[in-house]
Amino acid sequence: MSLRRTFAITTRLLAQFRHDHRTLGILFVTPLLILGLFALLFRTDAPVPHVGLVVTSSPVADVIAGALDESDALATERLSTAADADARLRDGLLDAYLVLPAVDGEGVLRPQVVVEGTDQQVATIVPAALQRAVLSGLASFAPTTPLGGAVAPPRIEPKVRTLYGNGDLDALDVLGGPFIGLVVFLLVYVVTSVSFLRERTLGTLERLMATPLRRTEIVVGYMLGFIVVALIQAAEVLGFALLVLGLYNAGSVWLIFGLEVILALTAVNLGIFLSTFARNEFQAVQFIPLVVVPQILLSGVIVPVSAEPEWLQVVSNVLPLTYAVDALREVMLRGSDLSVAAVQLDVAVLIGFCLLLVVAASATLRREVA
Amino acid sequence: MSAAIEATGVRKRFGDVVALDGIDLRVEAGTVYGLLGPNGAGKTTLIRSLVGLVRPDAGDLHVLDARMPDREVLRRIGYMTQAAALYADLSVEENVRFFTRVLGGGDIEAALRFVDLWERRRSLVATLSGGMKTRLSLACAIVHRPRLLLLDEPTVGVDPQLRVQLWNGLREMAAGGTTILVSSHVMDEAERADRLGLIHAGRLLAEGTVGELLAMAGTDRLEDAFLTLEARAS
Repeated sequence: MSLRRTFAITTRLLAQFRHDHRTLGILFVTPLLILGLFALLFRTDAPVPHVGLVVTSSPVADVIAGALDESDALATERLSTAADADARLRDGLLDAYLVLPAVDGEGVLRPQVVVEGTDQQVATIVPAALQRAVLSGLASFAPTTPLGGAVAPPRIEPKVRTLYGNGDLDALDVLGGPFIGLVVFLLVYVVTSVSFLRERTLGTLERLMATPLRRTEIVVGYMLGFIVVALIQAAEVLGFALLVLGLYNAGSVWLIFGLEVILALTAVNLGIFLSTFARNEFQAVQFIPLVVVPQILLSGVIVPVSAEPEWLQVVSNVLPLTYAVDALREVMLRGSDLSVAAVQLDVAVLIGFCLLLVVAASATLRREVA
Repeated sequence: MSAAIEATGVRKRFGDVVALDGIDLRVEAGTVYGLLGPNGAGKTTLIRSLVGLVRPDAGDLHVLDARMPDREVLRRIGYMTQAAALYADLSVEENVRFFTRVLGGGDIEAALRFVDLWERRRSLVATLSGGMKTRLSLACAIVHRPRLLLLDEPTVGVDPQLRVQLWNGLREMAAGGTTILVSSHVMDEAERADRLGLIHAGRLLAEGTVGELLAMAGTDRLEDAFLTLEARAS
């Protein structure tokens, strides 16, 4: 083995890096970006669920409610009726509510806990907080009868119920829906950006631009081609998720399918658009950690957007994937359909992103050849 | 005769580099015009501006009676890029068919027979030799029977025998009324054109038939004529 020849390879490689500033940037900037996002997302305090309390005044209930009010784990709000609390939970104003009735005829207090159900953290925090409140409340609960005898504390039998889901959604049920979207988005983006980049680098795009083809015809033609592939992929992924993995789904399969298709189209146009900024396939692939990974982290798949620092939520709210993740959760976990305002907003924003990217992608074709 | 190409005072600069420095060019319909010059002279930029891929900073371009840029006239132009621009994962025939669809029709078999690739029509482009790819690229440029054919260094990497064949084919097309503009940096090849333009540093140094150019320079070889005229211009 000749050291001289070996070093020739090494120095040539380093010289190539020196000329390729973008690769250097990606090598040295992306890790900080991704790790920084991780830190922001995961080194946050546990969420403080917003809980409504509906208390029928009684000595025991008041003590427990007082302990809940003072708990740091929850942000409580007193409400007058269970119906009101239920409506607020459905509107997303509450994460859970608790009904503390009077002790019944058998001397049992039966608090009802209703959690929203799609956030597992909340689903464990609220019953745990209740349990602590009951323990601390009962410890201080020592009223006496007028005759001076001690009153036995009532038995407490809480019932926990979830608004959405069947009460035992596991991590896959909660993450799975949005992941369907992620998989479709990621793969379609990669395939389009590389295939469009080849059109640019091999000179065929130049040749197409010297024909009567309009720019939008090229972009829409690409979109239609990828729809065919994306439809098959979306059906395959969805079928696998629902039938093989048994993912929980309370909504319309067609609506999920439609969401995947819009997402795929957005990814096609993003791929065409970003392929302008890459000179070769290598660089196009380098965009993945830069463009795709932060989107995955910030879209709310892993950590809810509401748990992010506020300035980061602003970033999340301008990413298409955030809306797709929200829509897929709405539909699959809450069984929402297109009549629900949240779903309408998500779909409208996604279509808006898609159209915006069609325009952006078409515009890059002019830039390339003019 | 009417002009298929008429350029007046065409200028284009890319940053600090002046690619076209006031080009005046007139190519009569039905002739073969050779654009001759060294690498970097501005040949490709001129051809790209003729198909609207480059927007000149100044000057006027008329192609087949249309003022460029004009998308509709592109239907009647055939453009063969310097590097063979083909879809490597499609077959020979699929490549040509794609261009007929984009250009609005054409005779696939005639085009492939013209470049002697009809027998290889089912082969994937990735399996073709460099010369075959060049020929297929030409087939894609002529399949719609263009009125004007722009060929950017079409014979680079093509063996001498085939080069003769190609030139005969081009002459035949010109006889049928097609105007052909060929760029080249190979002098002997250019002698086959009806008229020649010598281009250097973005300027047209001289123009005429081979005989006229030789007389102008007072030499008997085109290569010497080019050098003489270039020295005179600078």
